[in-house]
Amino acid sequence: MEFLKEIEEILNRYPDRQGALLPSLYVAQKEYGWLSQESYEAVAQALNLPPATVKGVATFYAMYKHKPMGRHLIQLCTNVACMVMGAERLVDLLKNKYGLEPGGTTEDGRFSLVIMECIGACDKAPAMLVDTDFHADLNEKRIIEILESYK
Amino acid sequence: MIKLTIDGKEVELEKPVTVLEAAKKAGIRIPTLCYFEGLSPFGGCRLCLVEVEKLPKLQTACTLMAADGMVVRTETEQIKAARRAMLEFLLINHPLDCPYCDKAGECELQDLVAKYGPEAGRFAEGKRQHPENFDDPIIVRNMERCVLCTRCIRMCNDLQGAYAITVTGRGSHSFVEPFSGGKYNCEYCGNCLTVCPVGAIMSRLHRHSYRPWFVEKEVETTCGYCGVGCSLILQMREERIIRTIPRVGLGLNNGLLCVRGRFGYDFVESRDRLSTPMINVNGELRPVSWQEAYEFVIRRLKEIKETHGPTAIGGIASGRCTNEDNYMLQRLMRFVIGTNNIDSTARLYYAPAVAYLEQIFGQGITANLIPGIANSDGALVIGGDPTTINPILGLQIRALWRSGGKVIVVGAPGGLKRFASYEVVPRPFAEEIVLSAVVSRLVKEKELKGELTHLEEKIKGLKEPAEGDLQAAGVSAETIDRMVTDLKAMETPVIVIGPELLQHGRPSKNLFLTAALAYAINARMFVLSERPNYQGVIDMGCLPDMLPGGRPIDFEMFRHKIEETLGKEVPQNKGLNLFEMIDAAADGRLKALYVMGEDLLFSLPGREKTRKALEGLDLLIVQDIYLTETAKMADVVLPAASWSEKDGTFTNLERRIQRVRAGRTISSGRPDWQIVSEIARGLGDDKVFSSAHDVWEEVIHISPLHAGLSYEDISEGKAIWPYHGEPLRGVEGEFDVEGLDSLPKVDTDAIILNMHRPLYHSGSTSRRSKALISIFPEPVLMMNPSDAKGIGVEEGEKVRLATSNASIEVKVKIDRDLQQGVVSLSNTFEGVNFMRFVDYTVEPTTGSMVITNNSVKLEKVKE
Ligand code: SF4
Ligand code: SF4
Ligand code: SF4
Ligand code: FES
Repeated sequence: MEFLKEIEEILNRYPDRQGALLPSLYVAQKEYGWLSQESYEAVAQALNLPPATVKGVATFYAMYKHKPMGRHLIQLCTNVACMVMGAERLVDLLKNKYGLEPGGTTEDGRFSLVIMECIGACDKAPAMLVDTDFHADLNEKRIIEILESYK
Repeated sequence: MIKLTIDGKEVELEKPVTVLEAAKKAGIRIPTLCYFEGLSPFGGCRLCLVEVEKLPKLQTACTLMAADGMVVRTETEQIKAARRAMLEFLLINHPLDCPYCDKAGECELQDLVAKYGPEAGRFAEGKRQHPENFDDPIIVRNMERCVLCTRCIRMCNDLQGAYAITVTGRGSHSFVEPFSGGKYNCEYCGNCLTVCPVGAIMSRLHRHSYRPWFVEKEVETTCGYCGVGCSLILQMREERIIRTIPRVGLGLNNGLLCVRGRFGYDFVESRDRLSTPMINVNGELRPVSWQEAYEFVIRRLKEIKETHGPTAIGGIASGRCTNEDNYMLQRLMRFVIGTNNIDSTARLYYAPAVAYLEQIFGQGITANLIPGIANSDGALVIGGDPTTINPILGLQIRALWRSGGKVIVVGAPGGLKRFASYEVVPRPFAEEIVLSAVVSRLVKEKELKGELTHLEEKIKGLKEPAEGDLQAAGVSAETIDRMVTDLKAMETPVIVIGPELLQHGRPSKNLFLTAALAYAINARMFVLSERPNYQGVIDMGCLPDMLPGGRPIDFEMFRHKIEETLGKEVPQNKGLNLFEMIDAAADGRLKALYVMGEDLLFSLPGREKTRKALEGLDLLIVQDIYLTETAKMADVVLPAASWSEKDGTFTNLERRIQRVRAGRTISSGRPDWQIVSEIARGLGDDKVFSSAHDVWEEVIHISPLHAGLSYEDISEGKAIWPYHGEPLRGVEGEFDVEGLDSLPKVDTDAIILNMHRPLYHSGSTSRRSKALISIFPEPVLMMNPSDAKGIGVEEGEKVRLATSNASIEVKVKIDRDLQQGVVSLSNTFEGVNFMRFVDYTVEPTTGSMVITNNSVKLEKVKE
């Protein structure tokens, strides 16, 4: 119900149903944890769009969760600036400490890791996003401290 | 006037078109890949690049509008290099498995590379891999071959309206997939595989069985599945139809087909086809020679005629047979045997509907052009789902909606779900109340034309439903307001009438109301036709009260004219209709029945009654392509040639006459007209017919409607109503309506069994098509989710479905769009068919049947 209400609100903000699709997918992602077939169908039903169209649009975008993910999503940049500043050591650290591979999820479902291509914080490299929080100037100590605050 | 120069040629344009189209007009071919005539331009492949003077970069001709003074070049070295580069990009990921690909030989990519190169690619990296998908029995997709032109998607979305497929993923990981990622679960029209330029979406039916250049013969014919009459081409090799294809520019379907027309052709090769004539000896059908069979039929018909008179004999014509076949059967009955006892299953709704409407408005009132629907600004659909009964007509309604027209559906919207402005779903059989309310209101707000006084008088006498009646019908007064407002605003409306309008409630009242509405808003009417030739059956005179050309039998003038022309007597008295023949057979008045191309036992309600009636006959002749349930009861069975094995014509629901052409005869069946002719000769007919063409020559001599209409005219597409013949005029006028001043009671508790008319089937022919069966393999009872919940069943579980006629277990399928209190079952599968459960009564006014005994008991079957 909450889901439908949120989509209703989104619909009010857009001139047509197609326009409301991308934000509605975020709502579905919250509701279902990730963009499953079921979630596409729910969005299609709510927006009265063909399910195939919804899926086509959703799969074009990399920012959505296209598979089940942990409670917290770590998006770590390993692009040039971050790489130079040691981001790859951080990737190794996550592997050793949490058993977390790029693109993977920890066994306890706590973290998922996605490697990002530049989040525009080269001056404070290495940088990452945890869910929607931004963290920069990372090093091996700092990253663990930060992550430990996400339960 | 726009003037431009393309490759040195001056081109003049009346109206603005793209450079690609302008070039085509000038006879210059610009290569394309993502462009497809009839689809919106996409501009994605960049093969149509051209040079335009004063424009800095190469332009895509398929999206660039031609402008005055443009100077365009279509083949320069720069362009060739660009095209070669585009193709090299496409080949990075293309598997180049041409030796193994069915498309090779008619592949646009192959042809383009052959012309522009490159001879070798420079990319050494591995190609993307994506396994070929065989989840579907009739369509296979190989996305490694896909060039992402999106032609299939534009086809599926914009023309078909199924929205079943999409590009998933992005970049080199993009593929065209149905929603499920596996099976298409779509309308299976196959129109996507028509437009795919490469071998990415293909039919599985003929996979690896031939190369396109193996096609030995192409036969242009008309689809034998429904009354739209799509044009299609049989591609033949040796004995077989390799595939059927539509062609852009050919016929009213203009390049589109539905699932039945495209994939259903294999019924002609079914192993169930009859291979020999048979005579019943002591309860067993034994093979005999044609000679023996003919002699038997002739001897028995003679005996019966001598002992009981000609009216003890009757004939059943067929909406699946050609005009020539049907003409010959009525000729045998009327002019040789001497009885007007001839009818067909068009009686189940089509013939009464057309007869009734013509009685009010005159002959040809339903003869309107299907392709015109899309240009209308509004449609009212009532009594059935056009997208499943007459799919290509259904697409026209979708197109109407897409171009901004209003579509109002009365009843469950089915395939118009996404394309209806709104639907009005009254309780079962309360359509009459809705229509009465709309008509009453409409004529108050809009003055009638004063043209048809007989109709206007009756409209005045109509009882207007009160608030309470509407409530009982489950429709609000606001809905009626909305309908009236919208209908009034339509300028070029169409009304589409389906079978259900006649088969429930009071057919004459429903038809009258529809007619009144059409009259009030000036609408064109279409009657959906479940069979390819219901209209032809009527026009060939296979009615107990009409001669060929739709001339009433009780007009002496018409009878005499035929008698003069043919030198044969025409019986005077009205014959028996289908239902009367069944009754007459049951009480012994009818002794012999000649059934051509119809499975009465399967197609009629009241099965027990029909069975007893047929059993009581002295002689039952069944002429068919299969050993149907009715054929099993016959005294003699005559194997007929099927749709793809004979010549002739069909008349579609818009009364367009089109040619049916023989591919090759693969069975021992003979054309129906020929069998009938042999029997007629044995009964003393002196006329020899040696081809379907001969038969048609006689038709155009005696039917004033078809006067002078030659096969050549028909082939040239000139056979559109009114054919330059003489339509019947001046007999319209009086007609009756049952219950003008009353309204029906609505039963709100009963669960009603309705006939499901699935897209993938059309009665028993489709059941013999392996392709169609693979999509819809077994009987299912369609149920609304809340009704299913009510008895605790889920999809796939079984229920026991019972009326006093039958009690049978059947699997449940949930249909969200079905209205509550209605379950539906198709009339497709032997043993579990709709008609088996129900009975009928006949409304005297229209002669149409009304389904009865359709309130059912449902019980979950415990595992
Ligand atoms: S077969 Fe028809 S409905 Fe199915 S995906 Fe292709 S175009 Fe769409
Ligand atoms: S499947 Fe065929 S038609 Fe569809 S995008 Fe790919 S190549 Fe084009
Ligand atoms: S719409 Fe009718 S005539 Fe056309 S292909 Fe389908 S079944 Fe055949
Ligand atoms: S045909 Fe013009 S871009 Fe593809």
